Amino acid sequence: MLYVAGVDVGSTQAKAVVLDEQAHVAGEAILDVEMNMSSAAQQVFDLVVASAGLTPDDIAFTVATGYGRYRVTFGDLQVTEISCHARGAVAEFPNTRTVLDIGGQDTKAIRIGDSGEVVDFAMNDKCAAGTGRFLGAASFALELPLSELGPLALKATAPVKITTTCTVFAESEIIGHLAKGRRPEDVLAGMHHSIATRCASLVRRVGLTPEITFTGGVSRNAAMVSLLRDVLDTPLNVSAQGHFMGAIGAALYALDHARAGTPGTRRASVEEVAP
Amino acid sequence: MAATTHTAKAMDARAAGQRLVNQWLANVHSAPERGQPVAYVFVMGNAVEILRVFGFELVFPEINSLQTGVRKAAPDFLAKAEDYGFSPDVCSYVKADVGLMLSDMAHPSGTRIPRPDLAIASSLCNVYIKWAEIWERHFGAPAFVLDIPGKRFATWKPIPGTAQYDADKRWVEGQLRDLISQCERITGKKFDPDRLAEVEANVNEMVRLWVEILTLNQRRPAPYNSMLDGLTYIGVLNAWRGTPEGVEYMRLLRDEVAGKVARGEGRVRQERFRLIFSGTPCYVNMRRLVELFETHGGVFAASDYLTYAAGGLDSSGLFYDPSRPLESLAEVTTLASQLGLSNHFFSHHTLAQQVKDYAADGIVYHGIKSCRTVATSMADNREYVTTRYGLPTLYIESDLIDPRYWSDAQIKNRVDAFFEVLEQRALLKGGK
Repeated sequence: MLYVAGVDVGSTQAKAVVLDEQAHVAGEAILDVEMNMSSAAQQVFDLVVASAGLTPDDIAFTVATGYGRYRVTFGDLQVTEISCHARGAVAEFPNTRTVLDIGGQDTKAIRIGDSGEVVDFAMNDKCAAGTGRFLGAASFALELPLSELGPLALKATAPVKITTTCTVFAESEIIGHLAKGRRPEDVLAGMHHSIATRCASLVRRVGLTPEITFTGGVSRNAAMVSLLRDVLDTPLNVSAQGHFMGAIGAALYALDHARAGTPGTRRASVEEVAP
Repeated sequence: MAATTHTAKAMDARAAGQRLVNQWLANVHSAPERGQPVAYVFVMGNAVEILRVFGFELVFPEINSLQTGVRKAAPDFLAKAEDYGFSPDVCSYVKADVGLMLSDMAHPSGTRIPRPDLAIASSLCNVYIKWAEIWERHFGAPAFVLDIPGKRFATWKPIPGTAQYDADKRWVEGQLRDLISQCERITGKKFDPDRLAEVEANVNEMVRLWVEILTLNQRRPAPYNSMLDGLTYIGVLNAWRGTPEGVEYMRLLRDEVAGKVARGEGRVRQERFRLIFSGTPCYVNMRRLVELFETHGGVFAASDYLTYAAGGLDSSGLFYDPSRPLESLAEVTTLASQLGLSNHFFSHHTLAQQVKDYAADGIVYHGIKSCRTVATSMADNREYVTTRYGLPTLYIESDLIDPRYWSDAQIKNRVDAFFEVLEQRALLKGGK
C-alpha cells in the first residue's frame, strides 16, 4: 500500500496527515509550535505516522506547507499553504470557487478557477488583525481557552462594537469593556464580528464567488462560522477537517508525485531559512 | 573568446555608469569650492534643462534618500527624523532627507551634500511641495514650485491645437520664464536659448536611446532585469540628463544590451516567466526581492517605474524641438505630465499594452507605506487586468527604504504562491 504525508507547519500549530493510495485519511496529528519549527515538524510527523500504524519508511512522499515549510527537513517538496488549502478545499467541496482560510497570523482569501486551480489570492498585510491571533488576545484577556470562545460568543445578547483593529490594543479594549460591566459573551461577540468584517473584505477583494469554503483552525469556531455567513450573506462549506485542510492539500500533492513517480525538489534545510 | 569579450563589454557599461555616478557625487561635493550654484530637484517635472543652461550642479534628494536604503543606512536617518517629531507615517524619502539635514548633510556615500541656492518642486506629487518648504525653512533657499496641469478625467486627452492645450502650455511656459528670471538673479548670467537648444538635443538623443533600450527588453530572453539593472540605468540618466556624458553612456548601454540580445543572453539563466513590475521599488531590499523572483525563473521584463521615474523620458513620442527651445520645453513638460505622470488612475491601458508588448505572464504590484497615493490605483488596476485579460497578478507591500515594513517570510510566501499560480496556469495551457 502506498502512503504519503502532508505536514503543515503554521505560526501556532503543526498539523500532519497521512493519506493512503485512495486519498483516504489514514492518520492525523496536531501539536503546538513552540520555539523550534524543525523539531515540531519532526514530532508531528512521528505522531501522524504512528497514528496511522506506520513507520517513516512507509511514507513514499512528503509535502511540507505553511510558514515553516522550509523547516521540514525531511520534506520532499514545499508548496505554499495557499495552494494546499485550495487543493484540500476543492477535494472535499468540488464546487469551491472561493476559499477563506483563517490561520494563526494569516488570513487568506483564494479565488479558484474552473479546473480547481488558484487564480488569485489576497492576504492580510503587515497586521494580524482579522486572524486567529485576534482571538488569542481575547483568550488571554478573558482567561478562557480558545475552544470556549465561540460557544460563549454565541450566547451574546448585546454585542459590543470593537473599534480597534490592532491585535495588541484589542486586549486593552476588552478589559475596558469588562471594566464597564459588559458581559464577556457580548465582548466576545464583538471580537468575532470584528474579525468577520475584516475577513469578508478580504474575500470581496478576490471576488465573492460561490461556493465558499472556510478552512483553517478558526473554522472550528461555531460563532465565527455563523457570523461569516451573516456578513457574507451566503452559505459556507465547513469541513470537520477544516483545521487539517492545508495538510490534506499538501498530502494530495504528495500523492500526485508518488503516483507519478516524480522526484521531489528538496529545498529545505535549517540553513535555508529566509533572513 | 567571445565570452571574454562579452564580459569586458559588460564591465564597460557598468563601469561607465559607476564612474559617472562617482563623478557626479564628487561634483556635488565640491560645488561650493568651485563657487558653482546648486539646485535641489526631484526626478519628475524638474526643468533640469533650464538649470543646465545656467550651470547649476544638481542634487536629487530622492536619490540621496534611496541611497541611504541601498547602503543599509536608512534606519539611522529615519530615526533622526522621527526623534525630531516626524510621524512614522510620513514618506520615508522625506524623513531620510530630514535625517540628513540633522546629520550636517553628511551622506553615507561620503558626499557632503551642499546647501541649495535654488530648489524646484512640482505639483506632480503633493509631498514635493511640502518637502521643498522644509528646504526653504532649513536652508533659507528659495523654492520654485512648477504648477503643471495634470490629467482631468479618464477619457480626457491633451490634443495639441485645442484651446485647453494651448492654455496649459502657456501656463507652464509663463512659469518657466519666471524660473529663468530667478536663475538669472541667482547666477548673474543671462539666459542663452542656444545653450537650451543644445541641452534639449542631448535629451532627445537620450530619449531615443532609452526607448530603444526599453524596447530591447521585449526580446526573449530579456537581456536585463528592469528592477535591478534598470534602476541603476535610470540613476545615471537622471543625474546626467541633457549632457554629452549622458548621451555617451546611453549609447554604450544600448550597444551592450543590443549585444546581449544578438547573442541570446538573458538576465535569468532559464527564463520561465516574464513579468511586469508596477509601482515603486523597495530599495532597501530590492536585490532580495528580485532574487525571490529570479530563483523561480521570473524576470521583470518591464516596469512603469522605468518610465515615470526616468525624468519624463518615458514620453517616447515626445521630443523637443530645439528650434523653439522654451516653447518646446513647456509643451513636453505639460504633455509628459498629462500623458505619463499624472494618470495613475487611468494607467491600466498603458499597462495592458505593456503586457502585450513584453509578452508578460503576470504583473507584480508593489505598494509602499510611504506613499498611499501611488498604491491607490493598484486595486482598480489589478481588477482590470485580471478580469479583462485573466492575467495573474500579485500584490506585495513594503516600503521605499524603511526596512521595518519588509517582512521577508510574508513576502517570500506570497512570491512562492504566485509562482505556483503561474505554474498551474502554464500547466493548464499546456505550455512551459
